[in-house]
Amino acid sequence: MNTDKIKINVLLFGACREVAGAGELNCDLAAPADVAGAWNEIKTRFPNLEKFGRSALFAVNEEHSQKDRPLEDGDTLAVFPPVSGG
Amino acid sequence: MSHDIFEITREPIDKLGLEKRLLTGGAGAIVTFDGVVRDNTRGRRVVSLQYEAYEPMAVKEMRRIGDEIRERWPDVERVGIIHRFGPLEISESSVVIVVTSPHRRVAFEACRYAIDRLKQTVPIWKKEIFEDGEEWVEGQAPEIVQ
Repeated sequence: MNTDKIKINVLLFGACREVAGAGELNCDLAAPADVAGAWNEIKTRFPNLEKFGRSALFAVNEEHSQKDRPLEDGDTLAVFPPVSGG
Repeated sequence: MSHDIFEITREPIDKLGLEKRLLTGGAGAIVTFDGVVRDNTRGRRVVSLQYEAYEPMAVKEMRRIGDEIRERWPDVERVGIIHRFGPLEISESSVVIVVTSPHRRVAFEACRYAIDRLKQTVPIWKKEIFEDGEEWVEGQAPEIVQ
């Protein structure tokens, strides 16, 4: 099963979107996958995102998530800086 | 509760309209927080703000704030939160929060909780546009979430 691949959708917001120069992308990951692995893959594609290494926050399927959150095929992972609404 | 209102919009926020939509006979107090765009930050002149939102999640997180308010203050009658996104000019409202309750104390407390919580959990980001450049506002890294 470890050779299985999953596809996830990735959304970037705010300064993360701007630095990457992309707001939406698809990402293939080896299963089993989690947020931390996906984040590493995204940073490989967009090395400029490295500067958000510690501060980036994540949401999976529109729920705030930690880095150890497992990912499944078809999940949507959002990556963004700490929120600054209001 | 089903009569609460949680919205994200590109249009100017109708504050009086929101109060009207939330007002019930049982309310003795309406507390409204109106967050408006300020023309300066850390001594620097701000020309305008640009807001970006993860819309569906932002609405979900606002609804969650409504749930939290009802757990803490069961006497609250209605909660309404409308956040605007896109480009905003000085003195325009970026967010309006309305809480109604039979008596004032609960409405004051719940309204303050709502704006404090919104700034921690609702996925919205703002960028300050200066005369000579622009900068994303850094949110506070949260312990909050979950």
